[in-house]
Amino acid sequence: MELRTLWATGWAVVLVGLFAAPLAAQERGIEGLPKEAVLEVEEEHTTAVLGKASPHWVYVLDPVFPHLIASKVYVIDGDSRRILGMLNTGYVPNMALSADGSAIYVAETYYSRGTRGERVDVVTYYDGSTLEPVGETVLPRGRFLVVPKKPNLALTPDGRYLLSFNMDPATTVSVVDVRERRYVGDIEVPGCSLVFPTGPRSFSMLCPDGSFVDVAFEADGSATIQSQEPFFDSEKDPVFEHGVVSAADGRAFFVSYEGMVYEARPENGRMRVARSWSLLSDEDREESWRPGGWQLLAYHAASDRLFVTMHRGGRWTHKQAGEEVWVFDVNTQKRLARIPLEHPAISLSVSQDDQPLLFALSEEASLTVIDATSYEVQGVVEGIGDSPFLTYVVGE
Amino acid sequence: MQTTGLDALIERAARRIAQKTSRRSLLARLGTVLAGMALVPVLPVDRRGPTPRVRAEEFAKTAQTTDPTQCNYWRYCAIDGYMCSCCGGGPATCPPGTYPSPSSWVGTCINPDDGQAYLIAYRDCCGKDSCGQCACLALEGEMPVYRPQLNNDIVWCFGAPNMVYHCSSAAIVGRV
Repeated sequence: MELRTLWATGWAVVLVGLFAAPLAAQERGIEGLPKEAVLEVEEEHTTAVLGKASPHWVYVLDPVFPHLIASKVYVIDGDSRRILGMLNTGYVPNMALSADGSAIYVAETYYSRGTRGERVDVVTYYDGSTLEPVGETVLPRGRFLVVPKKPNLALTPDGRYLLSFNMDPATTVSVVDVRERRYVGDIEVPGCSLVFPTGPRSFSMLCPDGSFVDVAFEADGSATIQSQEPFFDSEKDPVFEHGVVSAADGRAFFVSYEGMVYEARPENGRMRVARSWSLLSDEDREESWRPGGWQLLAYHAASDRLFVTMHRGGRWTHKQAGEEVWVFDVNTQKRLARIPLEHPAISLSVSQDDQPLLFALSEEASLTVIDATSYEVQGVVEGIGDSPFLTYVVGE
Repeated sequence: MQTTGLDALIERAARRIAQKTSRRSLLARLGTVLAGMALVPVLPVDRRGPTPRVRAEEFAKTAQTTDPTQCNYWRYCAIDGYMCSCCGGGPATCPPGTYPSPSSWVGTCINPDDGQAYLIAYRDCCGKDSCGQCACLALEGEMPVYRPQLNNDIVWCFGAPNMVYHCSSAAIVGRV
């Protein structure tokens, strides 16, 4: 058979496939059947739109260790425990959400030929409802390339400026005006790392000696930098990178390798450590309990509760997944509950509504959804990508 | 700023390198701006310096010195990532077509054969996507990224032609 004839025959088969069925049905008098008995044989192929973000959605960032240049963010509904959609993100990305989830900001790195060629670092703006990219701002100074950690990228409390930490290996913070989608500039803060917002135009960073440095900046990118005295011993008992700063009430919490909690609160753009206390009783210490994992801390502002992943182990087990989540009343510093986990968790988020869900992410790519009031497990979502590491919820 | 013996050792080394390597602006920036990081290829470790704290005793109890494709190989006491020895390279050799990083972070590991502590430079091999073989994680002395010279999450490819992480290696750079 000639190629052209083959091609024509192929089309004929397709056309018969499209039209033969409706014609045959009509011959048997389909009009006479009840409407609900008739199946649509030709449906419109649509693309889903998410609509307004729910407080019970969780955004799971997977750096995909076996293929680091092709990471992903999954959007999962905690109520139905179904995947709602996905973003493709670049090499070791970071993410931030607008207060209502309508905008998703991803700081990411690409090479023009995949693993080689020209490097570009960029903030990509996504529509939180369609999950489509809608704009970008190039970060000319680059960004910090590291296994993704949430405090590498933060939005100021008013939602106006995105702060992207960079170590190249000099340490700077790139400031992006997300309203105008404009790169403002880089602020050099020698030796200090990560970003914790303290106000509309201010943030703090952690320094090697165990202190905060406070940075205030202007719309033109100029900045004033004020150092502080150390508040922890960075050699004997360093705080984990994953402190939390609550978007709801501005309070900040940092936890150390040995289980000390440092409560802080921004005052006039400076991070003030208010008090410190231990997660552990003498009995807990005898049983070798300690905090650990990755994004090991979550705070529910309305009920003033802190959630921490805990495991039993010696010193230098600080990245070991938590076999339990411990829940603390911050005001009284009392432990309210211990939640045993079938899937030990490295990362936690808690939704900020009044019927909160706690999300516990395991190293085996499963997400346990827990009622954060009754502490009962609601279900487990398995097989979320390859190596998910971070979770985000709106308003946290 | 609090300085430990190990920090001081690395800092001196890095400063000396920075003074010697003005031809390479990146290395100079490495040395002067973040003096705590180790620059391995020309690392003149000051062996007369104070003895750093030995942190690797736990790891050394079950470590071996013969098979660098296993996570308990003695030099891996603080490594994190895919072992280059499983990817066509070795503890101090990058797989074909990848670049050894001129920068690294450091750990102190004990060789169980001689009981001595050695300064190990954890250099990443860079320029291809993840090797994906022999994932190991050890945490002896591992510190958060605000102490970068002791952190194993960072892509240690500063100064390499390309910063895509392929695998992790562990070269001996001194006895401590």
